[in-house]
Amino acid sequence: MHNLDNYLNYLNRYSNFSEVYFSGTLANGISFKNGSLSQVSSSNSSGYAFRALDRSISFGATNEEEWSIVKEHLDRVIENSRVPGRNKLSNEGVFKDKWEVAVKRKIEDMALEDKISILKDIDQILIEKKIPMRILSIADIRQKEILVNSEGTEIEGDISKVAFFGVIGYYENGNFEQRFVQLGFSGGYEALEYWDLFNTISNEAEALKRSVFAKSINPGYYDLVVGPEISGIVAHESAGHPMELDRILGREMSQAGESFIKFQDMGKQVGSQHVNVVDDPTIEHSYGYYKYDRDGVKAKKRYLYKNGIINEFLSNRESAGRVNLKSTAASRISEWDKDPIPRMSTTFIEPGEYSLEELIEDVKHGIYMKSYNEWNIDDIRFNEKYVGLEAYIIENGRIGEQIRRPTLETTTIKFYSSIDAVGKDLKFFAGTCGKGDPMQGVDVWMGGPHARLRNIYMR
Amino acid sequence: MDAVEAYEFIKKYDFEEVIVRKLSTKTQQVKFSNNEIDITNNWDETGFDIYVTKGRKIYNFDVKNEKDLEKSVINAEKALRLLEDNPDYFKINSEKYQYRSRSNRIIKISNFDISQFTKDFLEDNIKFAKRIGGTIYKKSMELEVVTNYNNFKDLNKSIEFNVRAFNENDIPTQQSFATSHDDDLENIYKVGEELRDHLRMLGKTVQGSEGTYHAVLHPLFFASIVSYTLPMASAYQVDSGISFFAGRLNQKIGSSLFTLYDDATDDSMFGSRIADDEGVPTKKTPVIEKGFVKNYLHNTSTAIKFNSESTGNAGIISPTPWQVSVEPGTEDPKEMIESIRDGLYIVNTWYTRFQDYREGIFSTIPRDGIYRIKNGEVIESWTGMRVSDSLINIFKGIEGVSRETKKVKWWDETMYSKVPYVYVSKLNITKSK
Repeated sequence: MHNLDNYLNYLNRYSNFSEVYFSGTLANGISFKNGSLSQVSSSNSSGYAFRALDRSISFGATNEEEWSIVKEHLDRVIENSRVPGRNKLSNEGVFKDKWEVAVKRKIEDMALEDKISILKDIDQILIEKKIPMRILSIADIRQKEILVNSEGTEIEGDISKVAFFGVIGYYENGNFEQRFVQLGFSGGYEALEYWDLFNTISNEAEALKRSVFAKSINPGYYDLVVGPEISGIVAHESAGHPMELDRILGREMSQAGESFIKFQDMGKQVGSQHVNVVDDPTIEHSYGYYKYDRDGVKAKKRYLYKNGIINEFLSNRESAGRVNLKSTAASRISEWDKDPIPRMSTTFIEPGEYSLEELIEDVKHGIYMKSYNEWNIDDIRFNEKYVGLEAYIIENGRIGEQIRRPTLETTTIKFYSSIDAVGKDLKFFAGTCGKGDPMQGVDVWMGGPHARLRNIYMR
Repeated sequence: MDAVEAYEFIKKYDFEEVIVRKLSTKTQQVKFSNNEIDITNNWDETGFDIYVTKGRKIYNFDVKNEKDLEKSVINAEKALRLLEDNPDYFKINSEKYQYRSRSNRIIKISNFDISQFTKDFLEDNIKFAKRIGGTIYKKSMELEVVTNYNNFKDLNKSIEFNVRAFNENDIPTQQSFATSHDDDLENIYKVGEELRDHLRMLGKTVQGSEGTYHAVLHPLFFASIVSYTLPMASAYQVDSGISFFAGRLNQKIGSSLFTLYDDATDDSMFGSRIADDEGVPTKKTPVIEKGFVKNYLHNTSTAIKFNSESTGNAGIISPTPWQVSVEPGTEDPKEMIESIRDGLYIVNTWYTRFQDYREGIFSTIPRDGIYRIKNGEVIESWTGMRVSDSLINIFKGIEGVSRETKKVKWWDETMYSKVPYVYVSKLNITKSK
C-alpha cells in the first residue's frame, strides 16, 4: 500500500478527485497447431493506473517505479485534468473490502506437463474424428489488484481465471466448415470438469462434420427455435451493448458507435412480454465475475429489458455522473493500463417455463438453430445477422435433417417482438467483448434458454 | 536495464538461442465526443518480450518489471526441460546484417500539441456539424532487439486522428489520418475539409435496397477489407489450413489491377520496422500481385518448412504482417464516382466476420457515408445495409484504382494502411427483413 498511498497523496494535492489502481498478474498459455506444441508462454505484468479529475478527467498508466519518473507521469496526469471537458462522476458510497474468486484446484498447482497433456488428449479426440485443422490453446491468469481513491474507498481483489480456445476446420464434399470454441471460467482448474471439456469438443467435432453435408434452405418465413448459444449472443449484442450508458451518451461515437436506444427511452417497449434480459456480474465462477467494479462500486444484477421494456442502463461513475444517476457498477477494464468504461459481465435472457420439446412440438414448419458461426450488428445495435452452424429443419413438431448455414438477418425489435415462448433451461457461453479505444477485450459470459420466434424471414 | 544487458543476463542460463525484445512506448490520447473532451490518456510503459530455445524446444515469456526477470528466467529454464520438440520450429535467422537508417523526420510530430489541435479542430468545424467526436493519438516507440547473431534499435513516432461528424439529421460520416513523417503532418489540417465535403453530400437518408451494385470504395473501407485479408497470408495461418490463402499460391484471386503488399519499409507509417523480431531486415513483399497470390509471409522457421525464404515478418512463432500497401492506379477518385451509372460510394465499414475463412466468405457493415449514385450524381445516402460477399468476388471485380492513396489507421478495424480508392463491379448488398 506504501506506493499507492504516496501516489494518491500526491494526486490529491492537485485534484478534486483522484484514484490509484495497482494490478499484478501472472498469466500462462499453451497452444497446439495441428498436433504440434506450437507455443508455451508466460507473462508477468504489473503497473499503476491513475485518474485525476479537475476541469476534465485525466487517466495515466505506467509500470515504472522510480519516483522521479512516476512523479513526472503524475504531473502530466494532473496537467491534463486541467484541460476543459467533461468532469462529473456519480456520487457513490465509500467501500472498504477484500474479495477473491473461489478456487478449488489452484492455477499454481497445475503442472505444465499436465496442461500439455490435456491439449494432447483433445487433439487425439479430434484426430480420431478426422478433423484436419486444429488450433487449440489453454490459458490461465492470476491477478491481484488494489484500488484506492481520495474518497476513502479501498478494495483488494484476488482473481483466478482459466480459459480454453479452439479453432477447428473440416473440409469434405467440396465444402468447408469452421468452428470457434471458447470456454471461460473464474476459478481454478476445476474448470475442466465444469466445461466437460472432452465431451464438449467431441460433440462439436461431430456437429461440424455433419454440417458439411447439410443442404441449404429455401428462403422464406419460418418459425425459429434458437438454442442458448444464439439467445446468448443476441442478448449480448442487442440488449447489453445498446444499454451501455456511455454508448447512449455518445462517448464511443467515432469507434464502436452509439445506440438505437436514447437516454429518454427508458420504459419503452422493445420486445414481447416474454423477454427479460439480465446482466449479472455476481454469478459465481462466471467469466466476467466481480464483486466490486473498477470504480470500486459494489456489483449487482441488472435487468436491462424487463417484460420487453427498457429498464436499466449499464453505467460507470463517469457516464452515470453525466446524467445525475447512480452507477449500476458496470465499470471494467481489460488490462490494468486501460481507462474504465461500462461493460457487460454475464448477459442472458432469463429462463421461462417451456421444455425444448414443448417449444418444438408447436412448430409446423420451422428451423432449430443451435449454434452460429458468422455474426455482426450495426453500430447502433439494431440490424444484426447470425449464420447458423449446427441447425435443423423442424417439420410438424419434430426435428428433421441438419441444414447448412441458415441465415437470420433481422432487427433487434423484430427479434425480441417475435418471441412467443421461452425455455426453462439456461446455459452460458464464454466470449471476449470488444469496445473502447484503445480496444479493450473483456471476458464475458452470455447465454440464455431455448426460445421460440414466430414467422421470421430466413435464407 | 537495456536489451543487451538483459540478453547477457539470460545467456548465463542453459539456453541455446536467446531473443530479447525491449519495447518502450509513450502514448498520449485525447478522446472527445459530442463536441467536448471526455478524457486525456497517458501511457508510459516498458517491457521485455523474450524467447529462449534449446534444440527445437522454444519458450516465450514477457516481463514488465526488471525485478521479475530473474524469477521468470529460472521458470523458463525449468519449463524448457519439460517441453517436447516443436516440429514447426527450426531456428532463428543466423545471418549477420547491417540495418538501414529510417528515412522519416519526426521533429514536428514530436512537438505537435494534440490537446490544442483538438480544441482548434472543434472550434473550426462545430458550425458545420450537429455533433463531432473522435480520438487523436501521439505515439512514440523505441524498440531494441538482441539475438545471438544480431542486435538493432528502432524508433518511430506518429500522429493518428479519427473523427466522425453527424449532420442535422444525425447521419454520420468519418475521416481518418495517420502519419509518421513530418512531410505529411500538414495534411491533418485537410481532414476537416474532407469531413465537411462528405457531410454536405449526405443529403436525404433512406433505407438501402438489396442487390448487386457497382461501387467506389473509399480508402478507409478498402483498408478495412484488406486488413482482414493480409494476416491470413501469414505462413502460420496458411499452415493451419484456416486461411483464404491456403492452397492458392500462384492462383488468380483478383483483377490484374489489384496488387497488395505487406510493406514495413514505408517509414511514413507507424507500422514500419527496420527489421523483424529475429533481426531479418524487413522488406516490401507482394502478397497479391496483379491478381495472383504471389507470396506468403515468413519467418525463418516457416520459410524452412515451406522451402521458401524469410520475408522479414517474424514473429518468432507466427509471422506477422506489418503494414498494408495497395498499389495505386491511374484514375481520379472524383471521376471514378462520376463514372457510376447506378451504384454506391461507401466510406467506411466495421464488424467484418467470416463464415468461411477458407473461401473468404464474409459480411461487413458499411457506415459513415453510404452514398447512392445515379448517373454520376449523389442522389441520397443509405442506411441499414450489409455487404454479404466473398473476398474473391470483390477482388476479381476491381475495375478501377485511383492514383491517389490515403494513409489511414482507424480504431481496431484497420492496420496502418496506404490505400487508394477502388472501383468494384459487383458488390452484394443484403439487409434485415
